[in-house]
Amino acid sequence: MNEKTIVTGVIGADVHAVGNKILAFALEQAGFKVVNLGVMVAQEEYIEAALETNADAILVSSLYGHGEIDCQGLREKCDEAGLKEIPLLAGGNLVVGKQNFEEVEKRFLAMGFTRVYPPGTAVEKSIADLKEILNI
Amino acid sequence: MEISNKKLSTDAFFAERKEVLGHWHTGKGVDFDEAVAYQRSIPREKRFGLKLAQAAEQNVTLIQPRAGVALYEEHIELLRFLESEGEADLLPTTVDSYTRLNRYNEAETGIEKSKETGRSMLNGFPIVNYGVDICRKVTSSLQNPVQVRHGTPDARLLTEISIAGGFTSYEGGGISYNIPYSKNHSLEKTIAHWQYTDRLVGLYEEAGVSINREPFGPLTGTLISPCISNSVAIIESLLAATQGVKDITVGYGQCGNLIQDVAAIRSLNILTREYLDKFGFNDVRVTTVFHQWMGGFPQDEAKAFGVISWGAAAAVLAKATKVIVKTPHEAMGVPTKEANAAGLRASKQLVSMLKDQDFRSIPAVVAESEIIMKEMRCILEKVEELGKGDFAVGTVAAFEAGVLDVPFAPSRYNAGKVMPARDNVGAVRFLETGNMPFTQDLIDFHRQKLEERARYEKRAVSFQMVIDDVYAIGKGFLVGRPK
Repeated sequence: MNEKTIVTGVIGADVHAVGNKILAFALEQAGFKVVNLGVMVAQEEYIEAALETNADAILVSSLYGHGEIDCQGLREKCDEAGLKEIPLLAGGNLVVGKQNFEEVEKRFLAMGFTRVYPPGTAVEKSIADLKEILNI
Repeated sequence: MEISNKKLSTDAFFAERKEVLGHWHTGKGVDFDEAVAYQRSIPREKRFGLKLAQAAEQNVTLIQPRAGVALYEEHIELLRFLESEGEADLLPTTVDSYTRLNRYNEAETGIEKSKETGRSMLNGFPIVNYGVDICRKVTSSLQNPVQVRHGTPDARLLTEISIAGGFTSYEGGGISYNIPYSKNHSLEKTIAHWQYTDRLVGLYEEAGVSINREPFGPLTGTLISPCISNSVAIIESLLAATQGVKDITVGYGQCGNLIQDVAAIRSLNILTREYLDKFGFNDVRVTTVFHQWMGGFPQDEAKAFGVISWGAAAAVLAKATKVIVKTPHEAMGVPTKEANAAGLRASKQLVSMLKDQDFRSIPAVVAESEIIMKEMRCILEKVEELGKGDFAVGTVAAFEAGVLDVPFAPSRYNAGKVMPARDNVGAVRFLETGNMPFTQDLIDFHRQKLEERARYEKRAVSFQMVIDDVYAIGKGFLVGRPK
């Protein structure tokens, strides 16, 4: 255990469960305490869970293309709830269709996300980033 | 909530209908008698069930894409492109994820934002928000039959608008559109919702309009053993037939081992017919659908075409009536129309080229389908027993007991104890059989198959094999070997 708590889940109306289960498994293997909210998670649920568990980061997945709509305002809600500095990571198929990832990344960074990942990112990459962000 | 596998009474149906049509303002636009007349005016060559029946008779495999965008003019353009440039035999209208969860307000936002930004902000076509007239604009603009494809636990209003809107085939079922697509819907509820859908299709049937119904075969699309998805397909066929449905297409999602894939379709065909006949539904027509690989795809488009073509080959060698086609953009999400058409053309080449070959009776296939049918009988007999002969009651009890258990499903009504993994030649077997009511010799068979792989890979049988298998095709392999 590295004593760091990660809240994770698939946002919005998305039910893609496979990657979520494997991501949670891999994070646990890497020593994180994982609060896995599963699929179809509302923004408020991430925030409540992060507050309750005093989480160190929130990891948002989205596979179905509505991620851009679903993630809007998450940073502002975190700020309001007192989670001002909490790292927000997002990954998956975040937008509808094959778009230039640099553009997608720009839009998500502008929305207040700390890290944004293109489709097909290996779990190891996010874990390495989390360790860097959280100084492990 | 009480549920039973009985035909809904006309009174109960119409009482419920009043409420259903009030769920969103477009429900007011549905008039059953007018819709029957409209459906009757649709030319024969554009009726889904007739085209399938013809293909089954000629022993050919039809190709069908998935497709749907937020704005209707663009949706029409997309489907026209897929029939002209993609040579699609059958067309879809894939419904967006907000509509699937009855979140019509959010779908409305999606339509508005799509108009503003000039790109589709929804991952499908919001049928309910558009209503009957716009659906008719879509279905009447095309040369080929069109089916609604979605993933909606409560699809009652969607069904009403779709059929009145001129679609002649409708995918889904109370199990297959719940367990893989929902977290909190109870099975009692979704089975009841789908009894409504099936009864509506039954009423159209009684009025002389046949609507094709397709239980969703692949479930979570990830290492689903044929015995699980085939059992669900048969239960949903029985539930649909009870409500008066007469035209059913049962489906299966490709696993990747050719022998197992052909055997899956063979056993699905044989046992669906057997069970329908057993319960007196001899007049229900059965066709089959094969889904090209539903799991993770390679990012590289040329490699993705390899996966697509292998699926098309398996479908035609299994003599599936149709194949649902993937695209070279699969790893990225929703494809462009050009990518979608390219996946179709690659598939068309294979189904045409291999149409004279039939793998159903080669001995390895027959042997594998005997195993699948043995497993299916274990499951289906237990479901029947748990329901004391009632498959609706039995299904609810079977999921509670883990007799029916779908790997990787998000639903909290699913036990999640069963864990699949590939054997040494890539066929999907079980690492954990959970509470599935298998005989000891079947349990031993699966164990022995995985031990064989473990010996070859010089590692123990473990969950790591499952993870490796889930990502293997994306990395260029079928079996996820250790690095």
